[in-house]
Amino acid sequence: MRYRTSTKLYAFSLLIIFIIAAVLISGCAERDTEPQQVSTLTFGYQPSTHQIAYLTAKDQGWWDEDLSPLGVQTINDRLFPTGAPEMSAMLAGEIDVAYVGAAPFVAAASSGLDAKIVAAAQIQGSDIVLRNDLPYEGPENLRGLRIATFPPGTIQDTLLRDWLRDNGINPDTEVDIRPMGPGDAVTALSAGQVDAVFLPHPSPTEIEMQGIGRTVVQSGEMEEDHACCVVVVSGRLIRDHPDVVQQIVATHVRATQYDTGHVDEAAVTFADDQGMNVSVVEKSLADWDGTWVADPGVIINSTVEYAQVQYDQGTINTQLTQDDLFDLSFYEALDQ
Amino acid sequence: MVRGSFQRLKNNSVELLSVVSALIIWQVTAVYIVQNKFFLPSFTDVAQAFIITVSRQGVFPFLSMNLELPVLLVDTLYSLMHFSIGLVAALAIGIPVGMLMGWFRSVERVFDPLIEIVRPIPPLAWIPFAIIWIGLNPFGAGFVIFIGSLFPIIINTFTGFKSVPRIYVEAAKVLGCNTDRELMRRVAIPSALPSIAAGVRIAMGVGWMCLVAAEMFGVSRNGLGFKIWHNYYLHHMDFVLVYMLVLGFLGLLIDRLLRSYLEDKFFKWRTGVVM
Repeated sequence: MRYRTSTKLYAFSLLIIFIIAAVLISGCAERDTEPQQVSTLTFGYQPSTHQIAYLTAKDQGWWDEDLSPLGVQTINDRLFPTGAPEMSAMLAGEIDVAYVGAAPFVAAASSGLDAKIVAAAQIQGSDIVLRNDLPYEGPENLRGLRIATFPPGTIQDTLLRDWLRDNGINPDTEVDIRPMGPGDAVTALSAGQVDAVFLPHPSPTEIEMQGIGRTVVQSGEMEEDHACCVVVVSGRLIRDHPDVVQQIVATHVRATQYDTGHVDEAAVTFADDQGMNVSVVEKSLADWDGTWVADPGVIINSTVEYAQVQYDQGTINTQLTQDDLFDLSFYEALDQ
Repeated sequence: MVRGSFQRLKNNSVELLSVVSALIIWQVTAVYIVQNKFFLPSFTDVAQAFIITVSRQGVFPFLSMNLELPVLLVDTLYSLMHFSIGLVAALAIGIPVGMLMGWFRSVERVFDPLIEIVRPIPPLAWIPFAIIWIGLNPFGAGFVIFIGSLFPIIINTFTGFKSVPRIYVEAAKVLGCNTDRELMRRVAIPSALPSIAAGVRIAMGVGWMCLVAAEMFGVSRNGLGFKIWHNYYLHHMDFVLVYMLVLGFLGLLIDRLLRSYLEDKFFKWRTGVVM
């Protein structure tokens, strides 16, 4: 009798828990059917000179100025150490627009991220920095070394593994690639715990100026004009608010062109945002092989190739095409 | 025999019903309500990921041999290695320090302020120094686990020693235990043992939780914590859950093993004591 009562009580409790869970979770996962006015936009970016265009437009007040007539009243931003967590945030719906590497976007798109690249941000711009006491005459010198770079699925990891393989070095067995964020990688190189790092600027210049290591390969030598950072916009924004996306692309193009003509000013903008020494950023922008470009046409082949490389490496499970990754219509509309 | 099994099943029916209901709720919620594998992979997604993880092969270097084992086992062995390094170091330092602090007032006065300053610093904050001082090796991961495990051991050992009833000490003195060493060995340690054991259990729990942080900064390319990060970077949330669940089950197993070992070895005298 007592057993039956407790079983009944238990079943009733489970039913209540299930109903509460269903209500709560369905609330979290609720999808709007009617497009609503977009009043808040959240941008994601990283502490890299690759994405200065976002900071320039923010610093100049262009985001507010250009987007407020379209109903956008608040613009937030989130800073991420690398592209992988930034894309996780976008998958979770926390950010609407991401300045991010093309490779992390590819990884996220294969996991079902509803978003497209609408513009490029920059090409090239990462360096392999080797400890000063190690010789370098060619890729062969990297055999057997421990190299720190960004985690799997990022531009740096994808590019480095592909380049090593092209040079006859097995990235899984003949070098020891350690995934970590930029801060940990620089610390590890300083402490002699890794022999080299492959990082985006300005980290290579910071390392050189501290006298820890020297740049031995620039990413443009690994693959000329390779895609790096891009502007990714959520599918929801593209479908429901194409006017806002059109303006985002226009403002991004304006900021990119401004930066190209005002490199010193761009350096100050970045240094202020990151609390860095301006001279380091200026030197980084003088030394790097990167170029700020907004035209997505420049990076299509390279990005699709990343998708193929990641598929071949087993990092992603689906083969992605240009149509899965790009929406060129907004950039093309600017030229008309 | 069949009847016995049926009876056992019947006796555990509430527990069984609880687990099965939770799995059904999870599956229904994931498939019909959330409908998004990134937000919540279903039970079957996770089961499928588990099978894939078990079927993949990995390499575990052991005594100059490269043993080919299921990758999940390789990751578990790496994590147990990191965990053991941290916990053994924490026990080796924490118990003596706690004992000395609890027995000698002067030692307590020296160590207490230092411990109270360092204790609130989260193990995660020590990662830069783990890289610089220890390096990107299993001991680097062990260092982060050591930081997480050390203070519960010190505090509980200290408390156990402070709580030794005066009457025991005086009785021991009357019976001929006169030196500090003898008193500690014959009276204080047996008396403080339950408190020390509680500290070790807490430390093991905290150390196990620190594993995910300890394997996130490039100490190795294997480990349960490392694979959580690795799969998270690739947005494979079903695999993330597999490794989370393995971490949880292993943590439970380690705790149960410790408890049964302690109860069999040291606390038989407590049988019948109402706790």
